[in-house]
Amino acid sequence: MSATDSRKRVLAPAALGLALAVLCHPDVASAAVAFLGETPRRALPLDHLGALARNHLALAGLGLALVGIGGAGLGILATRPGATRLRPAIDTLAAFAQAVPPVVAVALALPVLSFGGPPTLLAMLLYGLMPALRGTVAALEAVPADAREAAAALGLTHLQILVKVELPLAAPGLLDTLRTALVLAVATAALGALAGAPTLGTPVVAGLQNQNLVPMIQGAAATAALAFLCEALLLAAAALAARLARS
Amino acid sequence: MTAAAARPRRAAPLGGFRAVAAVVAAAAFPGALYGLPLLGVSANRLAIGEPVLAGTGFGPAILLAAALGAGASLLLGLSRRRRFAACAAGLAALGLLLLLAGLGQGAANVLASRPPAARAALALGAWLALGGTGAVLALALRRAATPVPGLAALAVLASAIAATGAAGLLDALSLAVEFRTRREGLLGALGEHLALSCGAVALAAILVVALRLFRGARGAADLLASGIQVVPAVALLGALVALFSGLLKAAPGLREAGLSALGTAPALIAVAAYLMLPLQRGLDAAWRAPDRDTLDAARGLGLSPGQIVLRVRLPVGAPALIGGLRVACVQAIGLATLGALVGAGGLGRLVFDGMAQFAPDLILLGAIPIVALSLLAEMLLSALAGSLQP
Repeated sequence: MSATDSRKRVLAPAALGLALAVLCHPDVASAAVAFLGETPRRALPLDHLGALARNHLALAGLGLALVGIGGAGLGILATRPGATRLRPAIDTLAAFAQAVPPVVAVALALPVLSFGGPPTLLAMLLYGLMPALRGTVAALEAVPADAREAAAALGLTHLQILVKVELPLAAPGLLDTLRTALVLAVATAALGALAGAPTLGTPVVAGLQNQNLVPMIQGAAATAALAFLCEALLLAAAALAARLARS
Repeated sequence: MTAAAARPRRAAPLGGFRAVAAVVAAAAFPGALYGLPLLGVSANRLAIGEPVLAGTGFGPAILLAAALGAGASLLLGLSRRRRFAACAAGLAALGLLLLLAGLGQGAANVLASRPPAARAALALGAWLALGGTGAVLALALRRAATPVPGLAALAVLASAIAATGAAGLLDALSLAVEFRTRREGLLGALGEHLALSCGAVALAAILVVALRLFRGARGAADLLASGIQVVPAVALLGALVALFSGLLKAAPGLREAGLSALGTAPALIAVAAYLMLPLQRGLDAAWRAPDRDTLDAARGLGLSPGQIVLRVRLPVGAPALIGGLRVACVQAIGLATLGALVGAGGLGRLVFDGMAQFAPDLILLGAIPIVALSLLAEMLLSALAGSLQP
C-alpha cells in the first residue's frame, strides 16, 4: 500500500468521526432535529455528554485490555510448536462463542453480575475473546517459517524468537486484530446502556423510550464518532508501524 | 538446538497435557454437580433463590450424568480415534438427557413441600455441568467429523429433550413454568425474529447483487459495507429512527402506506446494513473460485456467458457463497435481537422485558432460542457448504 493510500485510509474515518462529534453538540443536534421537521425538545448538556463519553471510553478500554491480554496470550500459546492439534477444538469453541450475540451476553450476565459495568465487561470478553485469539493466531502463522528457522540457527531461545522475530513481523496483523477488538468494545459498551451502565448508548436508549429525538441523535452521533476516531487512531498506528518496519 | 531436534521434545509434554486436561475435565463433572448448588429455590419468580445442593432428593440420574460426562471427557481426551469420539458423543448426549431429567426430578421434590408461587431455578453447578456436557458433545462430534450423521444425532437429542419436557419431567423447573405462562408470546416472538432475520438477509443479498451489477458503484459499495461495520448498532438504530421520523414528516403519505418511525422498517435496514460485508466477501470469493483454465475450457465448449455462470461459476463457487451466507445468517439472528429496541418485536422483546423486570427466567426464555437458532444456522449451512465441496 502506498503512503497516500494509507493516509486516505486514516483520514476518511478521522474526518467522519470529527463531523459526527460536531453533530453531537446540543445546538447542532437541535438544529438537525428542527431540519428533520420535529420540534426539538430538551437536549443533553455538553458536560453530561462528556462524562458519559469518559465512562464509555473507560469501559471500552478496560474491556479491550481484558480481550487483548486474554486473546493475545492464548493466541501465542496456541501457535507454539506442538499445540497445533488444539486448533480444531479452538475453532469449534469459537463458533460456539459467536452464537451468543453481545446483547444476549449482557442480558445473561445481568442476573449474575447485577447492573452496570460488570455484565458489559463479561459480554465484551465472551464475544471478543475468540476473534482476538483467532486474529493473533492468523497473524503469527503468517510469519514466514524461514525467519523462525534463521533465528533458531542463530541460537536464539524460543522466547527470544517470539519477542525479537515473530511479534515484530506479525505486528501489522496484530494491530488489525486490535482495531477490530476496539471497535467491538466501543459497540458493546454502547449496549451496556441496556444493563444500566452510563455510556453514550444511554441517551439513545432513553431517547427511544421517551420519543425525544435530540438526545437520541446526540448519543448516536457521539457513539459513532468515538468508534470512527478509535478506528482512525489504530489505522494511523498501523501505518506508523509499517513505516518503521520499512526503514 | 535445531528445529528438528526440538520437535519430539515438545510433542511429549503435549500428550501429557492432553491427558491432564482430560482427567481435570472428567473430575470437573462430579465436582460441579456435587460441590456447587444445582438449584436456587425462591419464594416467587423475582426473589433471590437459596442454594440447593445435590443429594437431597435428586435421585440417581445426577450420579449417572456425572459418570457419563466424566467418561465422555476421558474417552475424548485419551484417544484420538474417530470411533471413540463417536462413543464419547453418545455418552455426552445421554448424560445431557439424564442431567435434565434429574434436575427436573430434583426441582419437583424440593418444591413439593412449598407454596405454589415458589420457583426452582437452575443454579451455577447445573449450568456448568450442562455447558460442559454440551462442549464435550460438540468437540466429540467435531472429532467424529461426520456433519450429516452429527446433525441427525443432534436432531434425535433435541426430540428426546422435547419428549422429556412433554412427558412433564421438567415441569417443576422455573424455566418451564415461565414457558407455560408465555407460550403464545414466545411463539409469536420467534416468528417475528425469524421474519426479521430472513428479511434482512434477503434485503442485503438483493442490495449486494444489485450493487455488483453496476460496475461504477463497486468502490462506493465496498466502502459503505466496510464503513458501516465500524458504526455501533445502537447508534445506527438511533440514527435510522431519527431519519425515518424526518422522512415521514416530509412525506406524510408514507405513514398511510404503513410505514412508521418505530417498527420493522428501521430494524430491517439496520440489520441488513451489517450483513452486506459478509455477503459481499462470499460473492467475491465465489466469483474468483473457478480457475482460468476451467473458464477457458467452458468457453471453448461454446457455452454462453449465462451458461458459464449457471453451470461453472455457481457449482464451483457454491461453498464460498454459502460460507458468506452462513456468517450473514448468524449475524442476522443476533442483530435482530436489537430490533425490539425500536419496537420491531422478536425474541429481543422477551430479553429486554426480562432485563427491565430483573427476571432471569424471562431473559433465558428469550436468549435460549436466539442462541439455538444461531447454532442451528451455523451447523446447517456449514454442513451444506461441506457437502457441496467439489
